[in-house]
Amino acid sequence: MFDRILQEAPEFLTVENLVFLAEAAGRTLGMTLIGCSVGMVLGLLIAVLRQSRARALLPLRAVVILYVETFRRIPFLVIIFIVLFVIEPLVPGVSLLGIATVAVCLLSTAFLSEIVRAGLEAVPRQQVEGARTLNFNELQTLVKVILPQAWRVILPPAAAFVVMFIKDTSLASQIGVIELTFAGKMLVNRGFSPVLGFGAILASYFLLSYPLSRLAAALEKRLASP
Amino acid sequence: MDYTFQFEQVLPQLPYLLGGALVTLQIAFVTFWAGAVIGVGGAIAKVYGGTGARRIASSYVTFFTNTPALVQVFLLYYALPDAGVLLESMTAVLIGLTLNAGAYLTEIIRAGVISVRRSEMEAAIALGLSRLQILRHVILPHIARTIYAPLSNFFVWLVLGSSVAALFGVEELTGRAINISTANLRSIETFTVIAVIYVALTLVASTSLALVGRWAFRVRAKVF
Repeated sequence: MFDRILQEAPEFLTVENLVFLAEAAGRTLGMTLIGCSVGMVLGLLIAVLRQSRARALLPLRAVVILYVETFRRIPFLVIIFIVLFVIEPLVPGVSLLGIATVAVCLLSTAFLSEIVRAGLEAVPRQQVEGARTLNFNELQTLVKVILPQAWRVILPPAAAFVVMFIKDTSLASQIGVIELTFAGKMLVNRGFSPVLGFGAILASYFLLSYPLSRLAAALEKRLASP
Repeated sequence: MDYTFQFEQVLPQLPYLLGGALVTLQIAFVTFWAGAVIGVGGAIAKVYGGTGARRIASSYVTFFTNTPALVQVFLLYYALPDAGVLLESMTAVLIGLTLNAGAYLTEIIRAGVISVRRSEMEAAIALGLSRLQILRHVILPHIARTIYAPLSNFFVWLVLGSSVAALFGVEELTGRAINISTANLRSIETFTVIAVIYVALTLVASTSLALVGRWAFRVRAKVF
C-alpha cells in the first residue's frame, strides 16, 4: 500500500491537481459561508418573530415553528434530495451548486434561528422593560438593547455550527456538486489510490475546519459570561 | 406548474420503509453505545491520563471532529482493500460512524467528568462514604445529570447522521427510499414520506429520552 502511495505521490502533487482541489475547497467554503450568512439573517428574523406576542402574527409564527421543528429533524441528505427534485423542474438550467446552497440555507436557517433565540432569551426581561419605560420602540429595543447583549451568547455556538456545516456540505457530493468530497471521488476514479485521494480530501477538510474550530473555542472562552 | 402528487405509489411501501427505519435505529444504537465505550476511555485518558495518553486522545478527537464522517467511511471502505482488509458496506459504515461518534462522545463525557467539583468529593469523604459509595452516590449521579441532555441530543443527531449509510448501499431508511424512488420515479413523494418518518422517529426518540431522564436521573430536560 505504501509503495503505491510513494510511487503515485509525484504524479498526484501536480499544480493541476492542487488547483483542482483548491477550487473544490472554495466551493465547499462558499456553500457553507453563503448558507450560514443567509441562515443567520433569516434565523434572526425567525427568532424575533417567535418572540413577538402580536396576535396578527400568530399564523406566521405557527408556520415558522413548524418549519424550524421539522427541518431540524430531517437528515441533510434527505433535504438535499427533496430540494433537488423540487427545484430542478421548477427552475430549468439551475446549477447543482445553487441547489445545494439552497439546501444549506434551509437547514442552517432552522438551526441558527434556535441558536439566536437562545441568545435573545438570555437577555434579562428587565432590560426590555427598562427600554419600554424609556419609550424605545420594538426595533430600537432590539437593535440598541437586546442584540448588543445577546451576541455574546449567540456567537460561540453559531461559530461551532458553521464548523459543523463545513463537514455536512460533503453530502452535496451526492447530487454531483464538485466540492471537496466529489473532487476526491474524481481523483480516485482517475486512478489514484483511494488512500492518497481521500487522504488528501480529509487533510483539506481539516485545514478548513481546524482553524475555524479553534476560533470558535477561543470565542467561547473569551465571551463566556464575565 | 402542474404537478400532481401521487402518494398512492409510495404509501403501499410503508412497511418496507418502516423496516428501514428500524435499521436506522439499529445503526444509531450500535454506533452510540460503541462510541460511548470509546468516549469513556477517551475522556478518562484526557482528564486523568499521562502526557502520552492525553496527546493520543486529543489528536483522535481533533482529527475526527474536524473531518466529515462521509469521507472517513469512504477511506475505510475504498482504501482498506488496498491494505488487504475487505469490509462489507455495513461493517465499514458501523466502524466509521462509531469512530466518529466516539470523538464527539469523548468531548461530551469529558465535560461531565470535569464538572464534578472537588468540594463535593470532600463533603462525601467528610460524611464517611467509602470510595465505592462516593463513586456510586456522588460522582456518577452528578456526571449522569450533567451529560444526559447532550447525550440525548447526540443520539438524535446520530439517527439523522446514519443516513450516510445509504450512500454505501446499506438499506436503512434513506437507502430504501432511494431504492423505491429509482423504481417508481416518484422521488418527491418518496422523500417527503421518509422525511415525515424521520421527524416522527426523532420526536419519539427525544420525547422518550427526556421522560426517561426525568424519571431516572431527575434531569430537568425540556420534552420539546
